[in-house]
Amino acid sequence: MTATKFVTLGDAVLDEQFPPVDLALRRGRHVDRDDAEWFGFLRDAADVLEPFYRRSGAELVYRADGYYYLLPNGDKLTKRQLGIAEMLVGQALTLLYLDPANVEQGGRVTREQVLAHLATVMGTDALIRALNPKRRKYDERVAQETVRARVADALRRLAALGFVEAVAAEEFKLRPALMRFAEPVRASADSADALSRLVASGEVAFAPAEPETEVGGGPEGDETGDGPAPNDGGDEPEPTSAEPMAALDVSVFEDFGFEDVEASTELKENDEAGVLE
Amino acid sequence: MDERAEEPSRLIQNLAGRAIALELGSLDLCFVAALRLRSRTSETTSFSEQELVDAYRDVCALTQPEASGVARRATAAIQRLRDQRLLSRVDGAGVVRSGAYALTRLATSIVDFYLEEEALTGESLTLLLSTLHASLVELRDQARASTTSRECSDRVVGPLRVTIRDLVDGIERRQRGLDLQQERFQQEISKLLSADWFDAVARCQDLLEETTTTLRELNAVLLRDTHTLVTLLEDIRELAEDRGAPDANEACRRLSEQLERIAAWGSARQHTWSEYYQYVHRFLRDVVRLDPTRALTERLRAELGGKAGRSYSLVVATQPPLVVPREVTPPRERPPLERPRAEREKPLQEAVPDERDHALAATVQAVLAGGARTLSSVTEAAVSPLPEGERFSTAGRVAEVAARLAKVESARERPWTRADEGIWIEEWSLTPSANEK
Repeated sequence: MTATKFVTLGDAVLDEQFPPVDLALRRGRHVDRDDAEWFGFLRDAADVLEPFYRRSGAELVYRADGYYYLLPNGDKLTKRQLGIAEMLVGQALTLLYLDPANVEQGGRVTREQVLAHLATVMGTDALIRALNPKRRKYDERVAQETVRARVADALRRLAALGFVEAVAAEEFKLRPALMRFAEPVRASADSADALSRLVASGEVAFAPAEPETEVGGGPEGDETGDGPAPNDGGDEPEPTSAEPMAALDVSVFEDFGFEDVEASTELKENDEAGVLE
Repeated sequence: MDERAEEPSRLIQNLAGRAIALELGSLDLCFVAALRLRSRTSETTSFSEQELVDAYRDVCALTQPEASGVARRATAAIQRLRDQRLLSRVDGAGVVRSGAYALTRLATSIVDFYLEEEALTGESLTLLLSTLHASLVELRDQARASTTSRECSDRVVGPLRVTIRDLVDGIERRQRGLDLQQERFQQEISKLLSADWFDAVARCQDLLEETTTTLRELNAVLLRDTHTLVTLLEDIRELAEDRGAPDANEACRRLSEQLERIAAWGSARQHTWSEYYQYVHRFLRDVVRLDPTRALTERLRAELGGKAGRSYSLVVATQPPLVVPREVTPPRERPPLERPRAEREKPLQEAVPDERDHALAATVQAVLAGGARTLSSVTEAAVSPLPEGERFSTAGRVAEVAARLAKVESARERPWTRADEGIWIEEWSLTPSANEK
């Protein structure tokens, strides 16, 4: 790290940027150069904040792509895995971030572009199956509506985490933190080694085994799947920790906090990831 | 709605009412462009019919060499252009001889857009602004020298409306040219990266730097000169108003607004370009240079397409928001139900009987017996001995007792009569009843 302008942790904590940055990091926010003041504060205070967060069981990580985030590596700070919708949308956004065609717009994409990209890369059927994992039989119209809703919800969640920035109702600016989604495949074509390293460091976690599929609420009809869904992990990850707190759904706290947390109950049921330690 | 806001609506309604439309194909546009270029090179202002057909034939030879029936098509094209007021006949000879035609202002404006690359540069802006400055200084001197409103109007307001306006319009036109140039650069950068990826980095950086330098120069010049020009316009406006020149205020205001718009354009474009510049530089540095073969994109595409191995999820911190419980308010204890122990019935007490009604009846009786025959006289006699606070309430009871003790009559229209200080009543006539004791 570069030389810090904060000599002691107390100096950093007394800075007016500390409370909002600390809260944002603890909520999973990724901070990059577009958050000019927060990024400047973290760059200046990194030397004193790193040991501070390490004592709290988390690592203040800086990536060469130009962003900071907090990675919990113990049981003192709660953490969660991104849901399957967030992962798929995040990977699609990363592909769009890497696509030179989007340079013309300054890295701005619409929700429709994201959906179209997902459908192109994954195939429409696979996308529908991935985002309607519990339904063996589904009504096409309802399933497509579910996909649109879950993608919109995933975009909202990714925006809250600093992977994208919502610049208009349907428009998002791609941010460097998206490169986290490319980490497992960054080094080589065989991602197994990289993935093992990332799992060991706590950056990623394997998705749990797919639960038993069940007949969904859609009209009767033949199953039209064309093979396994991408990221063949089935539904959202279930709580995996054996600790008593692990079974606790964090969503129950959402109404009690400082913020008005908007969350679709229906979507949350499927999409809320629940790994707590 | 004020007059200024109403004007555009009225103009647009007028245009819609006239059903204006333009339908120009590529060949027609090329034909008009050829005429425009010929008029420039040969310094001619009009074309004979044969010259028009020759020009069309040349354009067809260049763009559609296989086309047949060129003369017939030329005739149709000339008619189309005339119908759309792009070509006008200027000789006025009618059927006497074949006509001479000229391009209209509409036609020249359209083709100039395609032919001229009038993008704003630091040099052209400096030149235009210095010319504008010199012209405004001269107009200010003219305004000072003029003595009458007519003189001031001719020497100042007229040039403001034409010469100065044209100069400012020239700057705005070049701004639009620069906007188009920027848009082309953005498309070009995108195409270069799509086509050459890593090899396009140097060229992309050159394009970025070129536009950035231009915008920086323009903004600096605009910031420096706009204020001076607006101040000059303000001086001219005051001088013209002092001399009573009509419309000077409006002409100066419009020009000031135009200049401020030009300055705002400069800072807005620089801000927008700055964001784009940063994004592209970051892209070149973090994406293109680190992935020169675009292998990362392919691997990620395979991952998303489901061709990779076991699935995974990113881990993020997710500390829930702090819990702030409500203030605890202890419930109010409800007292137990119990039977009242005290005696509900209060014991009877001896009291002095209220004899006021009897006394009042006796008084009324006495007054009637004394010969009073109207309600007002009875009321006055009955209430006047009472304390002032009781008189008004007693007046009603007097009427009730009087009606009981005597026979009451009243006219159809009962007049209001004064009975005492502050008491007015409807008058009755009273006759002592023979049955009453």
